[in-house]
Amino acid sequence: MTLTFALAIFLLLNLIVALVRVARGPTPADRLLAALLFGTTGSAILLLLAEAMGQPSLLDTALVFALLAAITGVAFARRAWREEAPDDEPR
Amino acid sequence: MNIRRATVRAVLWRGVLFALLWWALTDGRPGSWGVGGVSVALATAASLALLPPVGTCVSRIGLVRFLVFFFVQSLRGGVQVAAFALRPRPGLRPGFHDIALRLPAGLGRILLANTLSLLPGTLSVELDGDRLCLHVLDETAPTEREVRVVEDRLAHMLGLELDTTA
Amino acid sequence: MSLAELLGDALLVAGAAFFFAGTVGLLRFPDVYTRLHALAKADNLGLGLIVLGLLLHAPGWATGIKLVLIWLLALAASATVGFLIARRARRHGIAPWRAGDGE
Repeated sequence: MTLTFALAIFLLLNLIVALVRVARGPTPADRLLAALLFGTTGSAILLLLAEAMGQPSLLDTALVFALLAAITGVAFARRAWREEAPDDEPR
Repeated sequence: MNIRRATVRAVLWRGVLFALLWWALTDGRPGSWGVGGVSVALATAASLALLPPVGTCVSRIGLVRFLVFFFVQSLRGGVQVAAFALRPRPGLRPGFHDIALRLPAGLGRILLANTLSLLPGTLSVELDGDRLCLHVLDETAPTEREVRVVEDRLAHMLGLELDTTA
Repeated sequence: MSLAELLGDALLVAGAAFFFAGTVGLLRFPDVYTRLHALAKADNLGLGLIVLGLLLHAPGWATGIKLVLIWLLALAASATVGFLIARRARRHGIAPWRAGDGE
C-alpha cells in the first residue's frame, strides 16, 4: 500500500467521524458544517487517490467538488436553513 | 490612470489568466482551443461585468507581500487551532469583537472579511457597512492590532486609501 | 527516492495530521463558532500542505496549476461558507459558548 493511498483512507475515516459529529447537531448550524467538510476533506481525499491510483481524471473531480462545495454551501446557508425564522434575511 | 486604459489592461490581464486556466484544465491539449477561445472570451466578459476594472491597479509587490503574509499567517492559524484541539484542556476564551473598518466599501472589505476567517483566532461573523463583527478564540488576544495589519497589507496591494479618522 | 519526493511525503503526512487536528477540534470544541474555527483553519492548512506535497511529486505545470486552483477554490469556499454559517447562527440567536460555561 502506498503512502498516498494510506493517507486517503485515513482522511476518509476522519471524514466519517466528523460527519457523524455534525449530523448530531445540536443546532442546524452544526449540520451545515458538513458542506465545509466535503469541500476540504473531500477534495483532499480525491487528490490523494488521483496519485495513488494513477488516475489524473480524479483531479478534475476534486476541482468540481471544491467548486460545488462553495456553491452548495452558499445555497444551503441562504435558502435551506429556514426552519426557525423564515424571513430574517431581506432580499 | 484613466478608465479606458484601465479597461484595456484589465481585458489583457484577465484574458491571459483565463487562457492559462483553460490550458491547465485541458492539460494543454491543442485540439480544445476552438471551444477554449470562446470560453476565455466569455469568461473575460463575465468578469468585467461582475467586477468592473477600477482606476487603480494592483501593486505586484503588494500582491507578493500579501501572499507571503497570508501563507505564514494561515500556517500560524492552523497550528494554533490544532494546539487548542489537542491540548488536554483546550483553554478557549471565545468572544465577539466589533471593529470599525478603515478600508473603503467594496472588494477590499470583502477580501478582509474572508481573509480574517482563515487567519489565526478570528472568524468573520457579520459585515455591516464599516462594522465588522469577529468571533475570536481568545478574547484577550490583541485582535484589533492584527486586523489593522491585514487592512494595511490589503490597502497596499489594492492601492486603496485607508480612512484613518475611524 | 529523491529529496523532493521525500519532502513531498513529509508534507502529505503533515497535511493529514492537520486534518486529524481539525476533526479533534470539531469533536471537542463547545459551540458552532469555535467548531467553524477548527474547520476553517486546520482543514485548509491540511489541504494546502497536501497540495504542496503533491506539487513536489507532480508531473508538469498543467497538473500543478490545477492543484493550486483546487486549493484556492477550497479556501474561497471555506471562508464564504464559514462566514455565512456564523452570520446565520448569530442572527438565529445561537448563543456562543463562553469560558466558564462548562463543556
